[in-house]
Amino acid sequence: MRHVLTRGGASFAEGARAPARLPRWSVRFLEQPTATAGLALVLTITLGALFASRLVPGDPLVGDGPALQSPSRTHWLGTDELGRDVLAGVLHGARVSLFVGIAVAVISTACGIVVGGLAGLFGGWVDDGMMRFTELVQLLPRFFLAIIIASMFGGSLLNIVLLLGLTFWPSTARLLRAQLLSLREREFVVAARAIGVSAPRLLTRHLLPNALPAIVVNASLQVGGAILVEAGLSFLGLGDKSYVSWGSMLNNAQPFIQLAWWMSVFPGLALLLTVVGVNLVADGVNEATNPRLAGSGRR
Amino acid sequence: MSPHLTRYVLRRLLQAVFLLLGVVVVNFSLIHLAPGDPITLLAGDGGDAAYFAAMRAKYGLDRPIVVQLALYLRGAFQGEFGYSFAYGRPVSDVILARLPPTLLLMGVSLALSTVAGVWLGLVTARRARSALDRSVLVGTLIGYGMPAFWAGQLLVLLFSVRLGWFPVQGMEDARQDYRGLARLVDLLRHLALPVATLSLLHLALITRLTRTGMREELSKDYARTAHAKGLPAGRVATRHALRNAVLPVVTVVGGDVGTLFTGAVLTEIIFAWPGLGRLLYDATLNRDYPLLMGIFLLVGTCVIVANIVTDVVYAWLDPRVRYS
Amino acid sequence: MARRFRFGTRRGGSWRVVYLVVVGVLTSIPVAAAQDGTPTPVAGGTMVVSIASDPGHFNPAITTGFTQHVVADSIFNGLVGLDENLQPVPDLADRWDISEDGTTYTFHLHPGVRWHDGAPFTSADVKFSFEEVLLQYHSRTAAGLTPVLAGIDAPNDLTVVMRFTQPYAPLLQRLDVTEAPIVAKHVYEGTDPTTAEANLEPVGTGPYRFVEYAQGDQVTLERNEDYFKDGLPYLDRVVFRVIPEANSALQALQQGEVDYAWNTTPAQTEILASAEGIATVNAPASPGGALCINTLVFNLEHPPLDRPEVRQAIYHAIDRERMLEQIQFGSGRVATGPISSRMDAFYNPDVATYAYDVDRANALLDGAGLTADADGTRATLVFPHPNTFDRYGEIIREQLGEVGIEVEDVSLDFNAATDRVFVERDFDLGIVSYCNGTDPEIGVRRVYDSRNIRPIPFSNGAAYRNPDVDRLFDEAATTLDPAQRAAAYAEIQAILAEEVPYVWLIETEGLRAFSAEFHDFQHWSGHFAETAWTGAGG
Repeated sequence: MRHVLTRGGASFAEGARAPARLPRWSVRFLEQPTATAGLALVLTITLGALFASRLVPGDPLVGDGPALQSPSRTHWLGTDELGRDVLAGVLHGARVSLFVGIAVAVISTACGIVVGGLAGLFGGWVDDGMMRFTELVQLLPRFFLAIIIASMFGGSLLNIVLLLGLTFWPSTARLLRAQLLSLREREFVVAARAIGVSAPRLLTRHLLPNALPAIVVNASLQVGGAILVEAGLSFLGLGDKSYVSWGSMLNNAQPFIQLAWWMSVFPGLALLLTVVGVNLVADGVNEATNPRLAGSGRR
Repeated sequence: MSPHLTRYVLRRLLQAVFLLLGVVVVNFSLIHLAPGDPITLLAGDGGDAAYFAAMRAKYGLDRPIVVQLALYLRGAFQGEFGYSFAYGRPVSDVILARLPPTLLLMGVSLALSTVAGVWLGLVTARRARSALDRSVLVGTLIGYGMPAFWAGQLLVLLFSVRLGWFPVQGMEDARQDYRGLARLVDLLRHLALPVATLSLLHLALITRLTRTGMREELSKDYARTAHAKGLPAGRVATRHALRNAVLPVVTVVGGDVGTLFTGAVLTEIIFAWPGLGRLLYDATLNRDYPLLMGIFLLVGTCVIVANIVTDVVYAWLDPRVRYS
Repeated sequence: MARRFRFGTRRGGSWRVVYLVVVGVLTSIPVAAAQDGTPTPVAGGTMVVSIASDPGHFNPAITTGFTQHVVADSIFNGLVGLDENLQPVPDLADRWDISEDGTTYTFHLHPGVRWHDGAPFTSADVKFSFEEVLLQYHSRTAAGLTPVLAGIDAPNDLTVVMRFTQPYAPLLQRLDVTEAPIVAKHVYEGTDPTTAEANLEPVGTGPYRFVEYAQGDQVTLERNEDYFKDGLPYLDRVVFRVIPEANSALQALQQGEVDYAWNTTPAQTEILASAEGIATVNAPASPGGALCINTLVFNLEHPPLDRPEVRQAIYHAIDRERMLEQIQFGSGRVATGPISSRMDAFYNPDVATYAYDVDRANALLDGAGLTADADGTRATLVFPHPNTFDRYGEIIREQLGEVGIEVEDVSLDFNAATDRVFVERDFDLGIVSYCNGTDPEIGVRRVYDSRNIRPIPFSNGAAYRNPDVDRLFDEAATTLDPAQRAAAYAEIQAILAEEVPYVWLIETEGLRAFSAEFHDFQHWSGHFAETAWTGAGG
């Protein structure tokens, strides 16, 4: 249900530009306070995830403290009903969430580029076939698939990533196709064609670079979308039990929401900040790479 | 509609039939592939081998899967979608009973988030990169980044448990038998929190899409010229720009129509809303094969139709779009 | 955010106090106090009941489903009821005689009982209900009675005779409204009872009659003015509301939107205890099952679990007190064997016990030659379990890890987990809530009888084979002498506790939470609302 944002999300970034302005690009990105804040959030969470085992050693699934203890000096974010440290869960959970988010975005973008690229480039019956295939995948009941996969293969993290990656790409494909269709009619492409530029060259030199910012923004939005879907699946008990995840922590915390607020507030906050951070970064990239947007602002 | 467009729509509809057939076959296989036995639900904490065998025979589950699929397809072509195992009633009855609550919840929240999102998008497009713009960005993203099940709980704790403004659960008051206006008010009070939870999901996206689109359009030559010439023309330009700017919004809202029916599982669970999402969830856990097939078929049809309608609306809004 | 949370709870509490004081003042007038100080029931009022899932239909005779029974049992009756100690009391049958040899039961029906549509209730309805509905579609009754029932006769309108092929002791324990609800012959005759229209417009004899069903949302029942039990029921209306999330049900209870919750969880015990105006009860039985024991299933076909010492070691390695405290939050008891300690007539406390003792567990494993490899791992066991048992999975994984047994904790949805353990048999450890029922013959035997090793859910999942145990179960089932039965069951319990084909973890109870304005529930029964009344005027 969350992937909706990512589906259309990329339309944010429609626009064409030459690819040779990377330095300006990063400067424009960093000039935006929201984008830098987002980047800082994402970096902080990434560092927390990377050094989780160093910061809070031990198995986060094993309780070593008193149950349901509020935040204290020994357990900064409190403990859950089995005496497990919430801070350890939040930090180790960051690994799961970031892994899921990034892996899903990579898989789905790769699939989406292939399908959308073929459809947008060739048009005609290829386009028709690809788009109907895309629709078929969109029609797959993802939630039910999650149960089947979790039941048959034990709901491992890898399976969840594959499931999401292989069902998230239709948005990317549709987006890229739309971009290519619109670019095909633009003056510079028409002109290039007129002077006899070959199709592969047209694709690699003119079309893809112009569509790339939109794809990048879409991919970063999918990171957030995938994190949320994974949390939703874990919340319904369909996640991977061998790892702590923010979704499963929130699920555990349900009965204690009035009794032990720290059990749900911290994982929820971590999830929220990650998704907001990723989306702020995506927005910043979009603002920085879209020249027509850049022109209409204060500067 | 131009003859061109008519032909296009007809072709899409023809393709849709085959697509649906594909959907049925894929879903049927998936459902029967899934571990678990629907008779487990019926047997509960009991049942011997004889009971299981008798029930399998009664529901035709003892036949080869290909035969079951063929029988299902034959029935479906005649408008017979079978009986739900759990409800003991025709699948179509069971689904129809759950449609109104779902459409109410999803329709209201989609409409609300679209109106609010387009308005916020317009406001922020004019003041891009202002403090207001950035606050709206962060604010709407916070709404999006909160998982529905968590956001719903927080809303309940604040507005129901602490402030007592809205009920915790359900669609109507269980104690009172309201009529007329009082019933509408009661319904709206129950609708408030789940609608808020769901609207938060879409608001960020629609705001951002409108804002980006508007800024692009306003930076185009025609709009600049129109504005330079004075207010009336500027207003026309704004209207024209908005029309172009909402194209991506149409895509998103159109894409949502499919999920309209089942998109709110978590929200429906948290707020005890009697909609289709929860029906699908229950049917999944119960392995209620005919009911699952029925829901998937309904959702599939809606997504396909919505995709066609979206493409047509797109063409209508943007004359440059041509379908071959 | 944190502050708001704490503040929210406190404010919620004080509101509740104000509310209670006001309600208390208003209601102190109608509640008349009897001479001995206990309040006398008053008629009237509405009760809103929260249930976790949608019942879907109201024919309790075709299902053992918890939700269907919680709702529909109030509309119907059984031949006999069950009291608080799960002993038979009159319901549709006023009294009964049992033949000397224990093979013939004669039931004398209450005269003048009418169905909700006005038709008279007769013995023909009873005969029809068993032969055409219960023995076909009520899985537990069908499985239990079909092998032993010789026939049912209706010699006159008010007499029913049930004949058996052997002495059959547990009959009276399995005739209540949950196990054998009586439906109307004139309503169901000639229909398919699983799809009949009447399943949505039920006609019963019970304390409440059906009014309205909004699918997935709520079911409304109203008082049966012509109920055959004088003065009952008290409540005007009972509304069942489907609230899937236990936390939402709790909040609805706190806010006064709900009066009685079937779907609270033990984790809510503490918050419920501190909530004012809410009372709680732990009931050992419900329409979903009586005297249930959360039980760890060993797959005896998978080495090293075929060795008793290994199973005993695992028993010692599991801290069941911790489970009781951290998962069940004190509701229930640590189990000692296959028969619940609440089944007074048959429970045997003098059996081998397995206290939490890591050293002893390690010693047993060493003795069994199950030595640790370089990583300190003695064995790896696959533990697929329903996701409702996730907490058990986590604790077992942690605690068996401490004695060098690595547990691969696989959380599945209930249906898939049941399939994997009982049908696919692809597991080393499983976990099941096995319910004793009201007699060992009903719910205990199926778990240990070697003739019940079948690909059927909730059968003998461990694949435990012991001819002595089979013989003792037969012996206990074919005599009516309580002492003889108790002796046989005592021996069974001693043998099983020695051989440990299963680990009996926790005897669970159902936590019920309800508004303190309401009184006299039969929490253990499908007829929970038959005698309930409210002092709040609804």
